[in-house]
Amino acid sequence: MKALQIIKYGEIKDSLVFNEVNKPTMQAKDVLIEVKAAAINPIDKSIILGNLQSMLPIPLPSTSAYDVSGIVVEMGAEVSDFEIGDLVYSRVPQEQMGTIAEYVAVNNAAVSKKPGNITFEEAASIPLAGLTALQSLEYVGIKENDKILIHAGSGGVGSFAIQYAKAKGAYVYTTTSTNNVKWVKELGADRVIDYKTEDYKTMVSNADIVFDTLGKNYALEAFEVIKQGGKVVSVVGPLDEESAKMFGMADYKLPKELAQLSKDKEATYKFIFMHPNGSHLGAIKLLIEDEKIKPIIDKVYPFAESMEAFAHLATGRAKGKIVIKIN
Amino acid sequence: MKELIEKIKGSINLSQEAEEHLFSISNKKTFAKGAVLIRQGQNVNKIYFVTGGCLRSYCIDKNGKEYTLQFAIKNWWISDYIAIHTNESASLTVECLKESTVIEFNAKELDGIHALFPEFEPFQRKNLERHMVSLHKRILNQLQLTASECYDLFLEQYPDIEQYTHNYHIASYLGVTQESLSRIRLEKAKK
Repeated sequence: MKALQIIKYGEIKDSLVFNEVNKPTMQAKDVLIEVKAAAINPIDKSIILGNLQSMLPIPLPSTSAYDVSGIVVEMGAEVSDFEIGDLVYSRVPQEQMGTIAEYVAVNNAAVSKKPGNITFEEAASIPLAGLTALQSLEYVGIKENDKILIHAGSGGVGSFAIQYAKAKGAYVYTTTSTNNVKWVKELGADRVIDYKTEDYKTMVSNADIVFDTLGKNYALEAFEVIKQGGKVVSVVGPLDEESAKMFGMADYKLPKELAQLSKDKEATYKFIFMHPNGSHLGAIKLLIEDEKIKPIIDKVYPFAESMEAFAHLATGRAKGKIVIKIN
Repeated sequence: MKELIEKIKGSINLSQEAEEHLFSISNKKTFAKGAVLIRQGQNVNKIYFVTGGCLRSYCIDKNGKEYTLQFAIKNWWISDYIAIHTNESASLTVECLKESTVIEFNAKELDGIHALFPEFEPFQRKNLERHMVSLHKRILNQLQLTASECYDLFLEQYPDIEQYTHNYHIASYLGVTQESLSRIRLEKAKK
């Protein structure tokens, strides 16, 4: 089968190659998915560049990407929740990475039936960003009337998080650039802050939750706008001590400044590392079918133009998700 | 089964022997919400008479989106008649939208009943005529009526169905987008 593979770490154009490879080997708990669409995310770019070599080492060559939608065409002996012919979507587990290919084998625990009211391309755009947003906001227990600041409302995670937070009845502040203000507002955000002309720190105060999807100083700055006893959750900021232990860093301590700010505000700080989860995708399926959440796609590329898709991703200017139509 | 027998007796004189035969080729079954009775792409040889619950038949286009062909509530028949008639694999999926009880027939055995008991002919013919009328009405309504009027007729036909269907099930049945259906509902709620 044809697959887009990472052959070495480095610049995208030098590192990605179309290869003819064997169909994936099936394990007892796997379903084999005939891929209809895959989606790419910033993490896929970071992996190719080699920025995550220590955290997520991969054998080379490896097929790229994690997000997929398609049709179940084979099932392992221990799979009982699916049938041949089911239309599904998934963020595949790390060890099964490789969705820009004609087939991918996926542990069925990471798979869900796809929402019936959207296309394969739209379904492929959901899993990684959707799971990241859901698991972050559920970790901090988002609830009705919470005031939440979501950074980068036009990104894949941010645009999903806005809709998820609104579905939960929260009051949503979000930041984005001038060009994106209109469509981000249409996602349901109550107050869209144009970071080019407005300073979010003067506009948001006493937030119950800050969701940091940007990293750098944003995790620290969150404590300026959070209420006493609030919650900061980040998917790109520094690790917290509990998460660090998961990665085998037993002696890790939260950076001093962050620890102090957290203490001063009696606020919690949590780093969320998204984990694949078919049940969570099942919950998202219902939200999409009930129109609480809509997929936001920037552009769909044909399989043969996958390199262009990565070049587009590298600009960091996508409004929503970048999808590759495989079949 | 009693419901179906009563329905048949309402149209024709049913002999004891014919009633017993009908019993012998039928199978009463209850399916949970979400159960799939017929799956697109697979073989079909079953026809279902609904005695309770609600089922939906739909097709999936090449892009993976679902389009509802029919809802079946109490006293309706449901299957993939295209597949049965052409002897091809199913072009539809039939699923339960809530827990549903059906009487299941093998299509060939149900068809064979006419040779054994010719009195079934008028009953089946009337069924087919009603089915054809309903399909013709649906096509004409879509050609002539506004989406809002089609939605009104839909609610008359299936009064309680919104409790256990998604918006997109109904929108795709009516041939409108989910956004349009939401707008129609909103306008009706304002009145």
